[in-house]
Amino acid sequence: MTNIEPNQSADSQASTHGDSPGTDPFTRRAAIKGAFATLGAAAFVAAVSPLRQAAKNTSAVEFMQQHYTELSPEQKATVIARLEAETKEKYGADVTIADDRPIPGTKFVYAINLSVCNGNGKCVEACHRENNHDRSTNQSYIRVIEMPKGTMDMEKGSTTYAGVVPREDKFYLPVQCQQCDEPPCVDVCPVKATWKEEDGIVVVDYNWCIGCRYCEAACPYHARRFNWKQAEVPADEINPDQSYLSNRVRPVGVVEKCTYCLHRTRRGRLPACLEACPTGARVFGNILDKNSNIRWILENKRVYILKEELGTKPAFFYYFD
Amino acid sequence: MPRIVSLWFGILLCVVASAALAALWQVGTRANTPTRDTEIAQELPTGSELSAHYPVIVRQPAAPPRIELAGQDPQGRVGSVACSTCHTVRPDNLENKTSATLDEFHQGMTFSHGTIACYACHNPQESDSLRLADGSSLPFTNVLTLCSQCHSKQAESFAHGAHGGMNGHWDLSRGPQTKNNCVDCHDPHQPKYPKMIVGFKPKDRFNEPPKTEPQQAGTADHDKH
Amino acid sequence: MSSTPLKQSAITSYPRFIGRALWLATEGSFAFYAWMTALTAVSLVGANAWANQVAGGMITTNMTDHVSWGLYIANFTFCVGLAAGGVMMVIPAYLYDDEEMHKVVIIGEAVAIAAIVMCTLSVVVDLGRPDRFWHLIPGIGKFNWPISMLTWDVIVLNGYLMINLHVVGYLLYMRYLGRKPNGWWYLPFVFLSIFWAISIHTVTAFLYCGLGGRPFWNSALLAPRFLASAFVSGPAFIILVMRILRVTTGYTAPLGPARTLIQIIRVAMTINLLMLVSEIFTVLYTGSAHAAPLNYLFFGDHGKTGLVPWIWTAIGMNLIGTALFFTPAALERSQIRVLACLLVIVGIWIEKGMGLIIPGFIPSTLHEIVEYSPSLLEWKVVAGIWGLGLIILTLSLKLIVNVFTSRMHVEENQISESLNH
Repeated sequence: MTNIEPNQSADSQASTHGDSPGTDPFTRRAAIKGAFATLGAAAFVAAVSPLRQAAKNTSAVEFMQQHYTELSPEQKATVIARLEAETKEKYGADVTIADDRPIPGTKFVYAINLSVCNGNGKCVEACHRENNHDRSTNQSYIRVIEMPKGTMDMEKGSTTYAGVVPREDKFYLPVQCQQCDEPPCVDVCPVKATWKEEDGIVVVDYNWCIGCRYCEAACPYHARRFNWKQAEVPADEINPDQSYLSNRVRPVGVVEKCTYCLHRTRRGRLPACLEACPTGARVFGNILDKNSNIRWILENKRVYILKEELGTKPAFFYYFD
Repeated sequence: MPRIVSLWFGILLCVVASAALAALWQVGTRANTPTRDTEIAQELPTGSELSAHYPVIVRQPAAPPRIELAGQDPQGRVGSVACSTCHTVRPDNLENKTSATLDEFHQGMTFSHGTIACYACHNPQESDSLRLADGSSLPFTNVLTLCSQCHSKQAESFAHGAHGGMNGHWDLSRGPQTKNNCVDCHDPHQPKYPKMIVGFKPKDRFNEPPKTEPQQAGTADHDKH
Repeated sequence: MSSTPLKQSAITSYPRFIGRALWLATEGSFAFYAWMTALTAVSLVGANAWANQVAGGMITTNMTDHVSWGLYIANFTFCVGLAAGGVMMVIPAYLYDDEEMHKVVIIGEAVAIAAIVMCTLSVVVDLGRPDRFWHLIPGIGKFNWPISMLTWDVIVLNGYLMINLHVVGYLLYMRYLGRKPNGWWYLPFVFLSIFWAISIHTVTAFLYCGLGGRPFWNSALLAPRFLASAFVSGPAFIILVMRILRVTTGYTAPLGPARTLIQIIRVAMTINLLMLVSEIFTVLYTGSAHAAPLNYLFFGDHGKTGLVPWIWTAIGMNLIGTALFFTPAALERSQIRVLACLLVIVGIWIEKGMGLIIPGFIPSTLHEIVEYSPSLLEWKVVAGIWGLGLIILTLSLKLIVNVFTSRMHVEENQISESLNH
């Protein structure tokens, strides 16, 4: 009763050029079509063969790995052991990857004294080394803009300045992730691969990000970086002191960002860019601590935030003496 | 015609409604965040008062300074002497302000620190120590106190971590913090912070500096030729 | 006759219908095979380029942290418009009970299906980690709905594909069976698809205009502009397709629908250009923060002029194309019509693609001017996507033509026979 065999009508035969009416279409034509289909499939397999190379870099375990927030402590330990082994295998470096969690009662805030910053770029370099950035591109989470005095319009600035600093008619504006309280980058992520933690740091799960770069488009501070290729770092330059959500060696094809060096700051230490600053322009601390340096600055200095009109509520302040 | 108008209106309404829904959701999540933060602030006592036990160490200059002798003695030795070696036997010119007016010693020194006299800070009575404005003596290690007499704004900022570099821990319950002193960064005789050369720049693809902008004087020019 | 045997027969006969339709759709003349072989070759080049991109990392594209979206997302934006525009034709067909339009509508839906497939592929090739695509699947992944506009886009695009597949499939199946379609089975979906067509393009515009940090996109006019240009590129593409069908298969629609399409293009293009002028005036006259990207786009900034030739080409093509559409010759002479269609399609592809996505990133959020021009690999991938899109379009058009010209149908008595069994 299910036998609705559509009749090969004369009409349809007429449409198939070259075939005499009545020829069984499932013989010669089928053979030709089959041959073409096979050829096409073979050509397709050949065309996408570079994927096999890429597949080698992703194990089945990694492929199936769950979101960071859903990993049990045991799963986390397994994942971290795997990542440490991978770093040893690919970079030849022995590293320790911790899983640093926020310190209760802490909200990190950063401030930079624009009257003092002279644009020497030591922070840029310190970030580069601390966070195991790609050596060939001098990647860093910090960019410093040389601005003419008398304006806050970044359009008049330049990041490609070089030579002797500071120039007399300029001031220098270092920009990195502002760890916004209303982070647009977090809102736009389609897979919740990035989120804001209790101490205010916006983090990325490098093993969950799909690499769509929507967050990069959404960030008003150019704070996010994409791993266009696997970072190249010599074994002796790898910073072995790593954390899962911060400076561990990132996989290719995912987005990363400044984490206020959470592998240091969540252990009570100062961020690498601050320690590297020779002018003492950088101040870091816990805004919930009434006696902290950062509180004193916010209460006593003329403070400015970048792109306030966008409503991102940065946890990053610029001040003047 | 009315049909198409009403349909269009209906579609518009649906689109607006769904967009408004998303926007509202957004506002809802935003409204929650700050309240949560203030709650934390109230519930948890601030860390530093309770458990701060590591110190803030301010680096101190190796004091008092010694003057390197020019040349060698007959035995081929180089050496240095204390300030008092010379200054105990020479008359003090309390009005001298620069090395230009000296006929021997301290010749190459540049002085650019306002119009104050040498003995505004150096002690004519005890030349191996400093001198406060009230005339009392101060060891070289205590340079912070000396500078703070005039630079009270900077001293205040320094006390609150807003002036001068530091290392170590932000959280004193977990480790100490080391801060620079004044003369770590400022040469007391010409305290303006020195110029530096930018040594590290990101190498972005397709982001060469514009050709029209004149190259700055400095190392960049020399490297080219 | 109970309904059960009918259902069972539909369950088995619908796959049979699809199988047979595919079989017949791959039958054709030498020219057809040559065309399909060429498209396959282009698709394979694209597939190979993409595989190399995945293996070598996205450094093989010319995108950077400054211009983090490029040709892929540009092409995506245009294809969304094409998909939406294709189905906008449904509106006159069903609201005016314009029977003649029905022949055009089904073409529009076929265009929409191919365009949606191209959209999806354009996004997939843009992913740094296509292997983690499953993170986007609600249930097993983590779907950031409703906050992320991208999740809305995933929903509306897939929903749109489903709706169109259903409507086209059902109408053709009924025609194939020689039965009159049951309104309850497709009219609700047709009306849903009208709403949906507008929503896919609105949501895609919201993707960009919701970003406060990108002043060039952060304009309330973006969504209306998207819709207006979709109303141009969609009908223009359909006119082209109809022309090709007339030449190659003799499948013709009366002149009425063509006139309707041209009327739509005339109005929509005028509105589109008006909104463009309005945007340019507002920005340049006030000289606000929005001015820098527009300046760069139209005149170049700091001696960097990468997009200037693109946008003036687009403006020129759009203006000439629009002028041609307004001449009576557009209605009378098909060459003029085809030329005008080609001009506005390419014009809008540039205006909505390279002219809309790239200047969103130049200058960057820190006002650095880092230029972008697609790498050869990116061009190959996009060509491959179009190749595959055209393969799908060709097959579905052949299928439609076969059914509509009664080259493929079931004899009435056979159905009743099998049903009576």
